[in-house]
Amino acid sequence: MLGKLDWSAIPIDEPIPLIAAGVVLFAILAVLIWAGVKGHYPYLWREWITSVDHKRIGVMYILLAMVMLLRGGTDAIMMRAQQTVAYHSNGYLPPEHFNQIFSAHGTIMIFFVGMPFVIGLMNLIVPLQLGVRDVAFPTLNSVGFWLTATGALLINVSLVVGEFARTGWLPFPPLSELTYSPGVGVDYYTWSLEISGIGTLVAGINLVTTVLKLRTRGMTYLRMPMFCWTTLASNLLIIAAFPILTATLAMLILDRYFGFHFFTNEAGGNVMMFMNLIWAWGHPEVYILVLPAFGIFSEVVSTFSSKVLFGYRSMVLATMAICIISFMVWLHHFFTMGAGPDVNAIFGIASMIIAVPTGVKIYNWLFTMFGGRVRFAVPMLWSIGFMVTFIIGGLTGVLLAVPPADFLLHNSLFLVAHFHNVIIGAVLFGAFAGYTYWFPKAFGFRLDEATGKAAFWFTLVGFYVTFMPLYVAGLLGMTRRMQHYDVAAWRPWMIAAGIGTVLLAIGVALQVLQLFVSIRRRDELRDTTGDPWDGRSLEWATSSPPPAFNFAVLPNVTGEDAYWRVKEHARRQDLDKREPDYKDIEMPRNSPTGFVCAFFATVMGFALIWHIWWMVGLGAVGAFATFVVFAWRDHDEYIIPATEVARIDRTNLAARRAALDLAGIAQ
Amino acid sequence: MSEQIDHLHDRPDLAPGDEEEVRIGPRLLGYATGLGLSVLLTATSFFIAGTDLVWQPSIPVALVVLAIAQMGVHLVFFLHITTGPDNTNNVMALAFGLLIVFLVVGGSLWIMSHLNHNMMPMDQIMQMER
Repeated sequence: MLGKLDWSAIPIDEPIPLIAAGVVLFAILAVLIWAGVKGHYPYLWREWITSVDHKRIGVMYILLAMVMLLRGGTDAIMMRAQQTVAYHSNGYLPPEHFNQIFSAHGTIMIFFVGMPFVIGLMNLIVPLQLGVRDVAFPTLNSVGFWLTATGALLINVSLVVGEFARTGWLPFPPLSELTYSPGVGVDYYTWSLEISGIGTLVAGINLVTTVLKLRTRGMTYLRMPMFCWTTLASNLLIIAAFPILTATLAMLILDRYFGFHFFTNEAGGNVMMFMNLIWAWGHPEVYILVLPAFGIFSEVVSTFSSKVLFGYRSMVLATMAICIISFMVWLHHFFTMGAGPDVNAIFGIASMIIAVPTGVKIYNWLFTMFGGRVRFAVPMLWSIGFMVTFIIGGLTGVLLAVPPADFLLHNSLFLVAHFHNVIIGAVLFGAFAGYTYWFPKAFGFRLDEATGKAAFWFTLVGFYVTFMPLYVAGLLGMTRRMQHYDVAAWRPWMIAAGIGTVLLAIGVALQVLQLFVSIRRRDELRDTTGDPWDGRSLEWATSSPPPAFNFAVLPNVTGEDAYWRVKEHARRQDLDKREPDYKDIEMPRNSPTGFVCAFFATVMGFALIWHIWWMVGLGAVGAFATFVVFAWRDHDEYIIPATEVARIDRTNLAARRAALDLAGIAQ
Repeated sequence: MSEQIDHLHDRPDLAPGDEEEVRIGPRLLGYATGLGLSVLLTATSFFIAGTDLVWQPSIPVALVVLAIAQMGVHLVFFLHITTGPDNTNNVMALAFGLLIVFLVVGGSLWIMSHLNHNMMPMDQIMQMER
């Protein structure tokens, strides 16, 4: 009846996960009850859960990412604490638990923090920057988000029901095969990623279509803001790379469920094919995460230097070059697997070449700042912190791209330090920069500066104190994923890294505090003009938060830095006083399709993990039926009448004109 | 210059399935031609595979050629890929897809064929084990 599921799945003998799960469950229940008592459910259902508005979906993606960042961060603290104390002792985490933690940490940070954070920011901002009313497929967008949430939910369920994979963040066979991982851990991994992978693919298709098809009048490719270009490149990579991940994990699933032998040691399976395929997805994945971050930095650096982005066209070229070359370097993740010198040399050289367009970008940002009037607001701090940190991470990356050096450093803590150096230094700093930069656009008030600056400095210093020692420990020969060790020379570096982790944790706590303080002080921090940073692109041309239809009248773009031109024009011509010609606007209707579909996907995923076959059928039929019902819908749009559009837009324009008047006087 | 760009932008390019032609007749004719050609190519493939009318080693080559022709027919008649200026996006997407498939499949074949490059030949390993 319930497949492999019984009471032994609950880890009653392990206090740590049980207490953690208890606290989380208690918090969730408390929030649910509070929302029920206050009567927020109808509002949440109407305005958020069933929303197909790209801004709402973007915010939900970012919220998911931030909650999962806390989970992944807790894993990180536990691991670093273990390595701080586990010298000549077993520490406080038993090996099988430690292995689950480092696997969950990597999986969560990449798939459920990095991906939803950048996809959320792209969802929120790209349609606004392109000057359009929504993404190409609004309901599909909602489906994509909820499927991602399904994956995150399943991974967190593994904390209490059963176990998580002990194989590392990529389940390398033969360890992940049924012979060596008979439990449900790997199944939790594969099914959550298969389901959330569909969500990511859907988001990728949606955003590529949006950029290619839905630009406002006059928004030619070479007038798009840099963030739109990096969005295009990143989502092209999603479309090209995620099917590889899905197919590879499907093969592993066939091995585990039906006795196939794609990656087994026996019967002609080939373990190395898994490494090859997973990294053919895995390396583009790195650029899927980092390209949007590059776009965010381009926007931020240009805005806070009050200058046009230096070398816009070279930036576009560099982005597209990275997009292609990122598919030519994947072997550098397994130089040591035994390929000949010509294979290793070619991929080593390609890996070094990809540093060139990245270097071009760094110089472009530096020259954008050069001669500009730089304002050191929080997003700019993250950007400058990124440039310094990322250069160090990039250089150690070029070092690792040299095959002979890689033979020494492969799977050492040097490698761990390198990829944290680039992923934290670029993706996470970029996400935080974008979060602070676009927060006023999403909610109508800025984030508190003082706590934001404190959070930045704690995170930056904490990052260096944590990860620079790991470089040294790696050079001293310490390998990754060690539950305990006996080498005295490594000890001081592990203690230093432990101290750094405390600083990083304070940084994260300060960000939570920042959100709290900002909400309390929202009236002082209110952004009435819709343009709090003196921005340059079209998202600042509408109110904060934007109305459901984004723009009352779709803008007509005449050059790069579209909104900057509008402002200059307005200043010169004593403002455009004419009332625009308002028309009725058609907007897509909200739809519970995404939520219902994800509900059935969760049921199906959970049933597949535990081999509860009748429930698998139930989930599959339910998910399919949801799509059929949606496909047979009669009307999916509603009309916002012109008078309503005019009313909303007049209040917005009044505040904006007042601000522009002030700016005119100041000049 | 800017007028030219605006003019280009006013005529958005078409996605596969978006048809400018609205009359049903010509569209049906297009699909029928595609179906006819596909059936012809498929039938030829089956015929060639079993025949002894042609030189035997040429059969695999012929099958590859017929398969590629089949793809071409599908792209032109069913997915509506044309060389027209309104079709740039589709052609670019196709080119990108082909490039990625070439890189991943070609790269994988190359990498996997090099797997044992640094290994001793099998018979020598057997020798050592003895």
